[in-house]
Amino acid sequence: MASFFSVLVFFIYSMLMFHPEIENGFLGNVPIVWMVVAEVILVLFSWFFIFYSMRAFLEARTKEFAILLHLGMERKQLSKLIFLETVIIGSISIILGVIFGYAFSKFFFMIVREILMLDDLPLYISWQPFLLTIAVYLSAFILISLFSIHFSPDRKLIDLLNGYKNIQTKVAFTQRRAVLGIVLILGGYVLALFITRSNMTMFSIFITILIVIGTYFFFTDTTQYVIDKMKNKRLFYWKKSRMLPMAEQTLVLKNNGKMFFVMSIITTMAFLSIGLLATLSSYTSQYDKLNPLGLIYKGHIDNPYEIKHISSVVNALEDKGLSYHLTRFTVLKQTSSYTKFEVEVFRESDINNLLFSYGYPMVHLSSGEAMFIPYTKESIKELAKKKVDTVLLENNLHLTIDQVYPKLIFPTSIVSLNSIIVSDTDFKKLVNPYSGFPDIEPGYHLFTFDIPQWIEAEDIGVAIQKDVAEEYLKEEYTLPYYFENAGLNYSYILSTYSLFTLVGLLVAAVFLLAAGSFIYFKLHTGLEAEKKKFDVLKRMGISNNELKSLVTKLLFPQFFLPWGVALCHSFFAFFAIQKIMKNFANISIVKEVVFAFAFLVMIEIIYYYLIRWRFIAHVRD
Amino acid sequence: MSILQVNDVTKVYEGKVTNRALNQLSFEVEKGEFLAIMGPSGSGKSTILNLISTIDRPTSGEIIFNDIKPQNLNSTELAFFRRRELGFVFQDFNLLPMLTVEENIVLPLTLDQKPVNLMEERMMVLAERLDLTSILHKRPNEISGGQAQRVAIARALIHQPGIILADEPTGNLDSNNSREVLELLSKINKEREATILMVTHDPIAASFCDRVLFIKDGEFFNEIHRDDRRQTFFQRILNVLSLLGGGQVGDLSSIRLP
Repeated sequence: MASFFSVLVFFIYSMLMFHPEIENGFLGNVPIVWMVVAEVILVLFSWFFIFYSMRAFLEARTKEFAILLHLGMERKQLSKLIFLETVIIGSISIILGVIFGYAFSKFFFMIVREILMLDDLPLYISWQPFLLTIAVYLSAFILISLFSIHFSPDRKLIDLLNGYKNIQTKVAFTQRRAVLGIVLILGGYVLALFITRSNMTMFSIFITILIVIGTYFFFTDTTQYVIDKMKNKRLFYWKKSRMLPMAEQTLVLKNNGKMFFVMSIITTMAFLSIGLLATLSSYTSQYDKLNPLGLIYKGHIDNPYEIKHISSVVNALEDKGLSYHLTRFTVLKQTSSYTKFEVEVFRESDINNLLFSYGYPMVHLSSGEAMFIPYTKESIKELAKKKVDTVLLENNLHLTIDQVYPKLIFPTSIVSLNSIIVSDTDFKKLVNPYSGFPDIEPGYHLFTFDIPQWIEAEDIGVAIQKDVAEEYLKEEYTLPYYFENAGLNYSYILSTYSLFTLVGLLVAAVFLLAAGSFIYFKLHTGLEAEKKKFDVLKRMGISNNELKSLVTKLLFPQFFLPWGVALCHSFFAFFAIQKIMKNFANISIVKEVVFAFAFLVMIEIIYYYLIRWRFIAHVRD
Repeated sequence: MSILQVNDVTKVYEGKVTNRALNQLSFEVEKGEFLAIMGPSGSGKSTILNLISTIDRPTSGEIIFNDIKPQNLNSTELAFFRRRELGFVFQDFNLLPMLTVEENIVLPLTLDQKPVNLMEERMMVLAERLDLTSILHKRPNEISGGQAQRVAIARALIHQPGIILADEPTGNLDSNNSREVLELLSKINKEREATILMVTHDPIAASFCDRVLFIKDGEFFNEIHRDDRRQTFFQRILNVLSLLGGGQVGDLSSIRLP
């Protein structure tokens, strides 16, 4: 079943990957290399997964093989048997997986289309995904069967028959490593707290290394050390019915330390991918709030291209049939006596023109009054408390600024930190230009296009955008104009987002599946021994409820210890990311991250209860 | 005063092939008695033990412990009953490998959630009595078979049960260890007046008991009581065994006393 599902997922994803729409058009901006990377990860994981599941499957049948060998089957015959079985299972799962995958592809495409807001993704037939899936999985199965044959026959027959009688029970851990584990993890956390934009790359690498090594030691040594210390306190250890599950935990932890480590790292990565997705989705959804204007053109007062550019944009808009509201601003720079720095001054009627198109309340200022223009959402609250009395030095204009416009009018990228609105009468008084003139521009013309369907305006003014983009990369920006197309930017972001979503969701799903199945397989192989143990206990007399509670005490740490550690790691990772994001794009990802985590935790709890139920059912009879 | 009464117990296993394991078997066990149940393989020894352990129910008839009828208890009460009134010694020791010797001994008490000092106290007493103090901190795979069975006996005693049920306790032991274990059981029986019911096919083991009950094909066959000397008791046991069935030569031990 596991193989079947794995093939299914792989195939659906391949179908998506090779879809002609995606290949040719939409995500063309983003390098195809990312898709290939995702595919490679998927292949690797699938191989690994198949390998592990087949191995577990074979392990569970050691007794059967032992009996066959005992009866006189040759090693060679046994190898052939295993090989044939594996190939048959493999072929069936491949065929079924492909068939079901194809059947579900359309469904999947529809989901993807909804998530990414693409146009239709029609179902198509092409040989590529089929071939890839078959090739990958067939090779996986064949390799595995060859491998496993070489692995198992080395054990002695008698060991295979006796099975689980001789479990290794020595404990091997050192205090030094135990402490080291904790220290490294805590170190990683502390670094995460102090991450900033400047040291981001270096810190991230550091943190990752620290946490990975720390987690390894945590699971191999620290956990055993802690339990050992607890065992020494007999009063605690023997109380209630703790003794048995705790003693077992030592064994479980020792044998499976490495597996828990892998599980927790994988789960962390799954958490991170999902959290990142949540972040991106929140960013994209907030995008239009942060960028209320469809097109923005900003240029020097004596910009020679102004008329040409503006008329070309207007023509393009009319050709496309997009309704727009154009506002023309003349913005003057002045020096404020309060801050001694420049301040950008907007005219009330210009602002009201724009506000009218937004449908926002208008501004009414009397002479001598001015209003702050907020530059971010948070700044609205800040500026509301501010009251400034200042003089615009060049023209000796007294102003009292004690209000802030309660909504964002301009996107953060084009408004400066010090922008105010003054009444028309005051604006007329600003005849003297900025003191920095002629070295620094005394002001600028701003053309804002409020386009309700701004997403569709993405290819307006592309030529201008191109020039701007090229210039932006140079050391000095010397063009007399600047152009921003929110629709175009959004399409870039959207394509990045959709890519990350695809990759991220896939990776997360694979990781979660892998982590979950590790536990499942591991438990499954140890089931016989567990049953025997519980038989003894039942003989000695335990009720059903006690049985359940013993199983819970046994299983609970095995599930939630790795997951808990993963959650902890992810928490700190996101804390770090939040700090960086605050600097970059000034949005909070807290809500989305909490939501994503809650969702994941819920999945895990369900999974835990499911497995526990199966385990109890099996052990009880 | 009988601590255990088996009255007319019959056990039939249904299925494709119906099998009557026990047929109207009746006997009583007195308090402080050391009883052996002997019989060839397939005679129903394990069945009777399972029924007395309350793991299984008789098809008809009843089993009474000290005036308690286990068949009237629900499964939870049964579990508690087993835990408190019965002690088990198995053929393959069944010590839990992940626990140390002392932890194995107190296991029944921890499951019953008894206070820790009580557990410690009883454990120390038993360890001394059974000469286990030197191996208390070892694990089951580090001790010999005889020591392991002694640990199992300690575990069966620690909750002071009404009766100890032993299923072929010497089955996996060599002759020296067997003798050790049997002498220990005998000592416990005498000093603590512990009631022990032992199922065995080994006549040497049976010779340590007060009384031996023979069953064949699920029915009562014979019973003999001990006399002064163990050797003569042993000889009389062998005599009965030779009567048990001509074809089953393999059941007879090859040791004969002069």
